[in-house]
Amino acid sequence: MNSLFTPLSWSDSGLILTGVWNTIIISVVAIVVGTVLGLIVGFLRAESNKAVNVLFGSVLDVLRSVPLIIQLILFSTFVGAMGNPLAPFVAGSIVLSLYTMAFMSEVFRSGFESVSPSMQIAARSLGMTKWQTIYHIRLPIGLRAVFPSWLGVSLSVIKDSALVSVIGYMELLRTSEQLISRTQQPLEILIGVGIFYFIISYPLSHYGRYVERKMAI
Amino acid sequence: MDYEFHWNVVFQNMPQLLNGAFVTLHVSVLAMLLGVVIAILLAIAKMNNTKFFSQVATVWVEIARNTPALFQIYMAYFGLGAFGIHLSPYVAVLSALVFINAGYLTETFRGGFQSIPSTQYSASKSLGMTSIQSYRYIILPQMLRRIYHPMTNQFVWSILMSSLGILVGMSELSGTTQRLQSLSFRTLEFFIVAAVMYFVITKLVLFGSSLLARRLFKGEI
Amino acid sequence: MIRKLATLVFACAAFTSVSATADQLDTVIQRGTLNCGVVLDFPPMGYFDENNEPAGFDVDYCNDLGEALGVDVNVLNLTWGDRIPSLISGKTDVVIGSTSDTLERAKTVGFTYPYFVFKFQVISHEDKSIKSFADLKDLKVGAALGTTYETEYLAYADKMGWGRDNYTSFKSENDAFLGLYQGKVDAIISTNTNIATKLRSEEFEDFVAGPYVPNYDDVVGIIAKRDEVAWINYLNLFLIHQIRDGNMNKAYNKHFGVDAPAELIQSLRDNK
Repeated sequence: MNSLFTPLSWSDSGLILTGVWNTIIISVVAIVVGTVLGLIVGFLRAESNKAVNVLFGSVLDVLRSVPLIIQLILFSTFVGAMGNPLAPFVAGSIVLSLYTMAFMSEVFRSGFESVSPSMQIAARSLGMTKWQTIYHIRLPIGLRAVFPSWLGVSLSVIKDSALVSVIGYMELLRTSEQLISRTQQPLEILIGVGIFYFIISYPLSHYGRYVERKMAI
Repeated sequence: MDYEFHWNVVFQNMPQLLNGAFVTLHVSVLAMLLGVVIAILLAIAKMNNTKFFSQVATVWVEIARNTPALFQIYMAYFGLGAFGIHLSPYVAVLSALVFINAGYLTETFRGGFQSIPSTQYSASKSLGMTSIQSYRYIILPQMLRRIYHPMTNQFVWSILMSSLGILVGMSELSGTTQRLQSLSFRTLEFFIVAAVMYFVITKLVLFGSSLLARRLFKGEI
Repeated sequence: MIRKLATLVFACAAFTSVSATADQLDTVIQRGTLNCGVVLDFPPMGYFDENNEPAGFDVDYCNDLGEALGVDVNVLNLTWGDRIPSLISGKTDVVIGSTSDTLERAKTVGFTYPYFVFKFQVISHEDKSIKSFADLKDLKVGAALGTTYETEYLAYADKMGWGRDNYTSFKSENDAFLGLYQGKVDAIISTNTNIATKLRSEEFEDFVAGPYVPNYDDVVGIIAKRDEVAWINYLNLFLIHQIRDGNMNKAYNKHFGVDAPAELIQSLRDNK
């Protein structure tokens, strides 16, 4: 018979590294996809009329008003019931990306709207086309203004990626839980996990605040 | 799609779900109130010249902001358990939410306070106001206006994150949903209803908040 | 290149089979892999060994089933709550996860004949003298969320008018034992098998097994999608063969250290 409880050992580092890697990879996917979609949706919302806005707004609203953990369970179960089971990584990436998109689109919308109309009129009067105005004026100015908020949303995505564990994705927190079960050493393992997130998040959040201060001046 | 929805079993268990929703609201309101009180203290400590106080506040804020909520909850539950400190699931979730709320709100409050130029205080004093009067009528109302939206967002965040109670066996809305679905195995039905309930709760909170804002700020927000 | 071609051929083969009336049994055989869900925090039925690999009675059953079908086996780790979503979503073909065969659940999923029978038991620190179930009255009791023993305990507590203030749910079986180990609760309810396994470890040497939940046998089956009748048929025959061919006893002996009790074998033969 195998022994049930064995202490943490070096042979566990492979499992921990897998968890770390999986956390990083799903966060990167969600941030990249969420940013691209958020940029498009944010731009459309800043541009379009009220009816379109209300339609977009209500969908995004649902994504922001239902806990991520429930969205994950529902989506994963639902696509399966429709006959298209998805691997935890795929289902998790989709939900986390859409969730990120919901927040990113607000960030970008406010960025685009912060570029004053008079600046756009000025650009047009210099002979720029509509697309040139968007590309040379609204995008760079709008994006620069929202960089700290973008970073803030990205950081919360890294932290929220821990929730994808509920649909069976072996990210850091889930691997650590598996190790806790086997070692009965929750404290050591949890502190290690906390330090990992902190090391990633702290320098970035500081950088974000630094940029914010610099822009305020 | 080879899935037939059975809604009956959900309706039969509605009282339990509503009870779970009440616990969700309960824990989030409490987490918000305690979070605000502690955040005020931390914001004062952070602006304090005594290094010790400002450092304690800084450590609190940074840990709260830079680690996942799920980690905080596990830490409060099994992490403290390793020291023989045993919180119930409710208290563990509550304290994790308070810890994080306080961390985020500290920065909000500090930002709100610092955004009001000190010249306004001097000006109100020169108009013959006492300190209390100038805070009551000049400083605080402006501050409140600046921090009102971030506070509302934090409250909504608390409601959504209290759903992590499911992971320490708390009987809030998500935990109750999980229990009920495992008795009947009607996962989709129960979680759809839970999602609707969360949506309604957050919408009601936002609606209430905007009504209150209209009264407080007389439409100038 | 050859790999790509092979994938293409497989994809075509899969496509033609889907268009016909392929049931789960065909799907598994054609795919060449059995996705078998097991609850891996429920020793000795399912757990992770010291190499972080799945092990246990249920895992052995997955492998036996794979062997019978002539396919590879992919063991998926599930929590109690994941079992049904994983089936409905098609992530698993079958869940060998000690699922109590209640009539309520059978409205949603398909059950095979029973493959194991548990007793529900109390485990507590040796300081607490628990002679009968009624001694739990003023103690802090825990169990894993959504399990049949949680339901049984709560029904008993309600009947006795104890209220639920002393009761704590845990997300999983492991969390419940960790909670007991740390002293969060005075006692937990689990299965006799899990308790016996835990008591053999050094960590739980100060703990003792207590009384059984009165008048209750937990009869568990393998579960699959409810409408996959042919697949469930196959699984039933598989279970009969497990006993007939001695695989059941082999797995039992491997994980419990003794031969399977004649009483258990008989009740499985009788499908009770």
